Amino acid sequence: MNEERLRELLREAPLPAAAAAERRSLAVVAGAFAQRQPRKRPALPRLATALAAATLLAALLLSPAGAAVRHWVGDTFTASTPRPEPALAKIPGGGRLLVQSSFGPWVVQPDGSRRLLGDYEEATWSPHGLFVAAVKGRTLSALEPDGTPRWSITAGARIGVPRWSLSGERIAYRAGFDLHVIAGDGTEDRLLAGSTAARTRPDARISPAYVAPDWSPTGANALAYVNGAGRLRIVGSESGSLLAAAPAMHRITWMDWGAGGRRILEASPEALRVRPVWSAGHPSRLALRKAQPLPLSAGATVVDAALAPNRPLVAASITYWKRSGTRSTVVVFGPGKGSRVLLTVPGSLGQVEWSPDGRRLLAAWPGANQWLFLPLGRGKGRAVANILRAFSPGGRPASFPRLAGWCCAATVARRGARGAAPQG
Amino acid sequence: MAVDGEVEAGSREGLPARRERQLLREAQRGSRPALAEIYGAHWPRAHRAAYLVVHDAAAAEDIAQDAFLAAVAALDRFDRRRPFAPWLHRIVVNRAIDWSRRESLRRDLVESEPQAPARDPEIGEDVMKALAQLPAEQRAVVVLRHLLEYTPHEIARMLELPRGTVNSRLRRALDRLGEVLEGSPSA
Repeated sequence: MNEERLRELLREAPLPAAAAAERRSLAVVAGAFAQRQPRKRPALPRLATALAAATLLAALLLSPAGAAVRHWVGDTFTASTPRPEPALAKIPGGGRLLVQSSFGPWVVQPDGSRRLLGDYEEATWSPHGLFVAAVKGRTLSALEPDGTPRWSITAGARIGVPRWSLSGERIAYRAGFDLHVIAGDGTEDRLLAGSTAARTRPDARISPAYVAPDWSPTGANALAYVNGAGRLRIVGSESGSLLAAAPAMHRITWMDWGAGGRRILEASPEALRVRPVWSAGHPSRLALRKAQPLPLSAGATVVDAALAPNRPLVAASITYWKRSGTRSTVVVFGPGKGSRVLLTVPGSLGQVEWSPDGRRLLAAWPGANQWLFLPLGRGKGRAVANILRAFSPGGRPASFPRLAGWCCAATVARRGARGAAPQG
Repeated sequence: MAVDGEVEAGSREGLPARRERQLLREAQRGSRPALAEIYGAHWPRAHRAAYLVVHDAAAAEDIAQDAFLAAVAALDRFDRRRPFAPWLHRIVVNRAIDWSRRESLRRDLVESEPQAPARDPEIGEDVMKALAQLPAEQRAVVVLRHLLEYTPHEIARMLELPRGTVNSRLRRALDRLGEVLEGSPSA
């Protein structure tokens, strides 16, 4: 086709509500500009800059665009309105983070220092944070937190969703659609459930078997997964026997077994529900009770959700796509039907992750290039800016990094030594 | 804050080089009007480029906004001797490609049909439909070449691709667009 005509068409193609988008984004960009910390200069210019910044902020807050900034600042945290810190100097509440970037997984220490482990595609903590299981193509590796490999295996198909059991003794992973378990020292690899995508409905565009499996958080050798027929199954990882089963949520996208093993969260972009898990005094005697839906407002899209490690609380990152502008919230659902909005921001929020002690949440805010640390109780929230740059070596373009775990919620003592083998 | 600085259609950069350097220097010193002028000059094309790649109004807004936030964060370190637009466009287009890949995966996961982009049902329908049939990687090179007017060599550097790959993607994309648009009233 005529290239000049193509240019014209590209320039003329209409952008929906372009002027409103430009105004909204200006408010956010101007807010970030007002909050940035300019390069250090001699005292007099610095004073002048401070005055200019104050003038700018005042002007912003009085202008129509500034009204949006003021609203945003006021809504950012329910309890307080912290300024974003320019870099992560300390993880609030302690612990270590595993962060998956476009360049591979990073371990972030409590003091904010970080290390890239290698060009792995996916990673997960061992229960005590002594090791990381990482995947690249058809290879599963156990690494020390400094990136030193301890062992690797190669499967016959692409590996995904490695999950380390809380006992530290087993790692579950998917090779193609076959569900495997392997010992923490890289031995005893065996098939737990083959062809889990079998019986996927012909009209399903993708099998529910893509949902990542999850181990019992009690330390029992019990693994929950969803098969192609849409059944939520809990199996014993040693015997392979079925411990409990129930129909999974329609269009289930992810699940989370938490709350001390007493609940499984089932989630899709449209809905959330919690299914009680009953234990009759023995890990092999489990029962899945009727799932209880969590109330969502009209127009809500669930971006992420997670069960607290040891409490019956569900945190969810929810986005509302509206013509007047996208807004997102972090909501915590209690054991009853009550819920509490912790945070509202313009734009889209990303993942939400519980701290190991269940007292804080880390919410990703890609649009503002920030992480938000939110206390559940009293206390100030903290915002940390420049997240993208922190996980992009050399400032190379990259996607906003993904949270792969906040270490470590493990409370179960390790059972059965395996010499120097990685067990968590 | 004035934001109505429309960019001259077809120009690679929204501002003359000397003026842009001056504005960047002033913005680095904290000047709000300078930031507003830079924003007004570069937003429309960054936003349009993102939209033509992702075909989703909300995502395009987020992506372009994200790029400007990255610009604000890196303002102090920015080398004023280098043009601002290629740096911004590189972020926009790479993030738009990433978003499109993620969205494609998400749509698969939720088993839902792709949502029709919220757009004018009449004007520009043909080119949007034709673009929608291309993979995101091909849409990106078309946008970089024919909207933002970068050379294949520059595109190769921005996307970290071999130049031959850029040329072949462009060729395939134009062939496909030609097939789809052939005979349509606006083609």
